[in-house]
Parts: sequence; structure tokens; C-alpha cells
Amino acid sequence: MERVFRVLLSRDDWYHQRGYWVIANALKNAGMEVVLGGIQTPAEIARTASNEDVDLIGYRIMQAAPDMVIKALFREMKVNGIESLPVVVGGIISDKEEKIIKELGVKVVFRSFDKLETIQKQVRTIAIESFNR
Amino acid sequence: MMFDKEFIQKLQDIQKRYQDELENILSRVPGTGAERKTFSGLTVKPVYTPKDIEKTNFFDDISFPGQYPYTRGVFPAGYLSRGLHIRQVTGFGTAEETNQRWKFLLSQGANALSVVPDDGSGNRADSDSEKVVGLVGKGGVALDTLFDYETLLDGIDMTKYPVHLISTNAYALACYLAVAEKRGIAFGELRGGMSNWIRPETECLDIIEYCARHVPLFNAGYLDMRNVREGGCTAVQEIAFGVATAMAGCDRLISRGLLIDDFLHRITWFVNSGPEFFEEVAKFRAVRRVWARIFRERYHSTNPLSLMCRMHCQTYAPTLTIQQPFNNLIRSTIYALAALMGGVQSLHVNSFDEALALPTEFSASLSVRTQQIIDLETDITKVIDPLAGSYYVEWLTNKLEEEAIRLIDNIQEMGGAFQAWNWMCGEIRYAAMKNQQEYDAGERLLVGVNTLIDEADIQMEALKVLRQHAHFEAIHEYDPSFVDKQIKRLNKVRQERDPDKLKKAEAALIETMKSKQNMMPALMDAVKSGITRGEFAKIKADVFQQPGEGPYVCSPPHVLA
Repeated sequence: MERVFRVLLSRDDWYHQRGYWVIANALKNAGMEVVLGGIQTPAEIARTASNEDVDLIGYRIMQAAPDMVIKALFREMKVNGIESLPVVVGGIISDKEEKIIKELGVKVVFRSFDKLETIQKQVRTIAIESFNR
Repeated sequence: MMFDKEFIQKLQDIQKRYQDELENILSRVPGTGAERKTFSGLTVKPVYTPKDIEKTNFFDDISFPGQYPYTRGVFPAGYLSRGLHIRQVTGFGTAEETNQRWKFLLSQGANALSVVPDDGSGNRADSDSEKVVGLVGKGGVALDTLFDYETLLDGIDMTKYPVHLISTNAYALACYLAVAEKRGIAFGELRGGMSNWIRPETECLDIIEYCARHVPLFNAGYLDMRNVREGGCTAVQEIAFGVATAMAGCDRLISRGLLIDDFLHRITWFVNSGPEFFEEVAKFRAVRRVWARIFRERYHSTNPLSLMCRMHCQTYAPTLTIQQPFNNLIRSTIYALAALMGGVQSLHVNSFDEALALPTEFSASLSVRTQQIIDLETDITKVIDPLAGSYYVEWLTNKLEEEAIRLIDNIQEMGGAFQAWNWMCGEIRYAAMKNQQEYDAGERLLVGVNTLIDEADIQMEALKVLRQHAHFEAIHEYDPSFVDKQIKRLNKVRQERDPDKLKKAEAALIETMKSKQNMMPALMDAVKSGITRGEFAKIKADVFQQPGEGPYVCSPPHVLA
């Protein structure tokens, strides 16, 4: 039987959440289990990811400075011993910011109007790669 | 409309012939077979006639501007007497940077102000807290203390420019009022308002109650349907969820001993304007009619001011694209046209770069100019409710009203909007998903994204060239030094305040909140004694035993499987 991947989805603010819910549903429709972290600090994301034993972290960043929260997230993941988990990001991210957070270790950055099908496939591929390692 | 039988009979005969011809032509045009649906799911025909608005009564349903049921606008002279408020959302860095941007916008001809704080959930922790890492001065302005509000409002005539606080927080209002008090401005002179979403919490109701009694011109209650629409909902849901939420809030306020006409006229709307041009125009008209009818018929409001639904509009953002970014100027202009034809009181036009970053001076000034060009150079604002009488627009207005009322009644059967909250959220998410799938499948077109894709993207190239000019900010970039600058401002207040005075003010505030009295007067004392937004948030959490929705509070994870 094919493995059901577990994905944590967290976000950085309270108001805007359309993309967050659309992606949650898309990943669910693609056969994954989605843990809804809601609005979380990097420390909370790392703790939840560890407690919930997820295969991948999806982080919606729209209000926060991407480099600052991603640095904090990787630091906290190390504290929780889950530094090998893949992190994918979506949101309002400039080219420059995308480059920086990818250098920090983010696997992929999704932006508005990336097709759901593409996102579903890429998330699955990253989760499989990480699991097989 | 009043058409006699003979007229309708003749119309039907001609229409029969026309319909055959139309179908014949369209059968040969590929892709026109399927019926067209608006974003809200209303089925739309290629043409409308008097028959479609046969039952509409001019006197009861349309009437004149400034007359019940206010379909045509709340003021008799529309924009001719009450010019549009050009109000762009502003907020980044510390209060100093935002104050400068405000002054820039005013110099460009903006005539109303709006401020957004920096953590998206508004004032729930201080800038030196671990809880707001990466958020300080990023998506909004850092406003930790009264000192920040003083800087924000420095040199701004509070009696001339209505200021809107994008905050649901009593702390923001207390600071705003404290600045006015310090300047010797009577509260009765303060206009503007705040994004105080109607919800069952004490804080929301305290704000409305306090303002109803002491800040009579301040719009203290808010229906933030624009952001709900951004979340994915339809035009029908935008109307229905807004009215139902207002009804639920009114029930709570009435049970506090207020009368409907004490506060209803100070509840205003925040609405959206998106790609479906005619549906949006009809929506603004339908919102006003539903509002007036519900509150007159079901709540027996007798004050005409209460029945006049006033709206601030911000154009739709989910269709703003990264690809070919200057196209967003054109999109937002069309959305703005619908808002002005629909008679909104106040408008924010999104900047072309909002899918990339916060607006720059350059892009924000284009948003102001968009409104000025429509207002000053064209005839759009010179005739009131110019699309009234269009068979299509009147039919759409009726249809949106009918569907919205049906939805409101459903929500009332569920126990009202506060009870039906989760159901409404589910409906919004379902609509968002459906909308995204339509774009993915190419059933709904978006230039540069799923049609007319330009791999070379000459517009993006142009933007890159602009970015190379050292003295010109073409794309807003976050400056991480805002954090240190803000923490210095915060520490200055902490060092200079009188600890004994603060302690007393805090104790009084806690006592007031525990004894269920209105928190505003005690909070204003605390603000003047130097309490910070984070300290107030902590008191609130302790007294009400509510975690509140901050970026630092995680709703328990639940699994969507």
C-alpha cells in the first residue's frame, strides 16, 4: 500500500488565509494527511512538526520577513532534532527573498497562480525523496 | 417596472424571433454553448429586457438617491456633494516611516488615511517579543505605545482627515483618543473609524458602546467583508454574511441595554470590487437595499442614518499577478470603476506591485492617480447611480438581494452568524477552492497566467530596469534595522514612564474588566500611563481566559484527511 504522507501547514498571520486553505484542500485531495497548525511562530511550527511526526512542513509566509522566520525555523528544527525534514514555502515572496530562503535550505517556493496540480506533485516528490533518504 | 400586458406580449413575440436568430448565430460560434455563470454562480443570459425586471417597482425598489431603500446611494447628491474619500492602506517600519508615507499620500491628493499595524492580527505582543519575530514593521507599522501613535499622527490634522485604524483592538482606539485629548480636540469632532469586526467578544462590544456614547461621529463597528471576499466567498455571501454578522452583533448590543438607533449608524462596511464588473455594481446597490430593508423591517430602526449603508471599498487582490505586473494597473482601474459606479464612499485601489511586495511611493501614487483620473477627467462621478435602469443591472441587483436574503434566513435558522461561524468559514473555503480550480482548468481566464502568457515578460524587464536606479524605490524592500529602531522607541517609553502610576492604572483596568464595566475609560488612563500593547494583551488574556488569536497562539492542530 502506498504510504500516506503527513504534512504540517502553518502560516504567519491571521487575516489572509485563502491560499492556506486552498493548499490544505489540494494536498488532502492528493491523498495526504494535512495537520493544520494555523498561525504559529517558528518555535511552535518545529514543536508541532515533531509532535505530529510529519513528513514535510509547509509554511505560508505573507506578513513576515521570509529570511528571518526561516532562519528561526531551521534553528528550532535543530533543537527538536528534526532538521532533516523538508520545508516548502508559499506566499508573497520576492525573487530576492526566494533566492535567500532557498540558500538557507527551503526546498521550493510557491507563489500565486502556481497550478494546484504542480504543487501537489512537487510536494509529493519532495516528501518521497526525503522519506527514502 | 410598470409595463402593460400588451407591451409584454409584444415584447415576447419579438423576443421569440430574436432568440431563434441569436441561438442560430451562437451555434456556429465555438465555446458559446455552455451557459455563463458569474463568480457568484448566477446564470447570465446574453441579453436582458424589461421582462426581466417586470416585477420591479420603481418607487419601492429603486426610488431616488438618498431615499429609502437607498438602492441608488445614501446621499441625495452622491459624489456631487460628498466627494470620494481616497484612502490608501498604509503601514510599514516604525511610526516615523508610516507618518512620512501618509504625508506623501496627502501631498498627492489623498484625502483620508488608513493605517495597518504590523502583525496581521493587530497589537498582540510588543516588538521585542519572540512571538513577533520577522513581523516588526514588515506587513504594517509597529505601534507598541502611545508614543508611537503620537509620532504616527504628528502633523496630521485629526479633525480634517478621517483616520481609519485597521485594528480590532481597543488599545489602538485608546491611543487614538489619547492623542486627540492631548491636542485638545473634542471627541465629537473625530471622524474616521476602525476595523472593529462585529464579534461577540467584550472588547468589540465595549468599543461600539463607548463610541456610541462618547465619540459620536467615529465609525466604531465594522463588517470586514472585503477580506472575507478575498478569502474566496461570492458576492451573495459577501452581502449575506455581512448583514447576518451585523444582526448578531446588534442582538448582543441591544441586550446590553442600547437601542438599535444608538449605534447602527456607526457600523460601516468594508467591501470588495472585483472582476465581475456588473455583478459588483449590482452588489453595492443590493447591499444598501438589503441593509435598509432588514434593519427597518426586522429591527424597527427609525433613524434614516441607521438605514444608510456606507461603504469603504478596496479592489480585489487575488487576481493581481506577478506575471506582467503592470497589467494590474488596468485590472485595478476596472475594479475601481465598478466601485464608483456603485457609489461607495471611500476607496483603496491596489497598487500594481501588491503581488510582489508592499507598495512604494511610486506605486501608491499611481493608485491615488487612478481614482483622481476617474473622478476628475471622466463623467463617471457626475451622474448619480448611472447604471440604474439597465435591465441587466436591475435584474442582477434583484437577484443578489433575493439570494442574499435566502442565505441570511438560513443563517438565522442556524442560530445566527456567531453560531454559524464555522459553517460560513467552510462555505468560503469551498468557494475559494472552486475558484482556483476554474483558473487552473482555464475555465476562468487570467491574462499572463492561463492565457496570453509572455515568457520574455517585457513588463517584468521594465520593472527590473527601474530597480537598478539607486535613488528610486521600484519594489519595496524590508529594512531589518526597523526592529532595533522600534525596540529603542519601546524602551524609551518603558524607562520614562512612572511605574507606580502604571501599576495603579493597570490595577484599575483589571478591576474594570473583571467587573464587566466598559474597559475604555480605564484603558485610556493606562495608555496615558505608558502601558504597551503587549502588556494590555496579557491583561486581556488573563482576565478573559481567552488565548485570543495572536501569531503566537496555536489553535490545536487538527488533521484534514
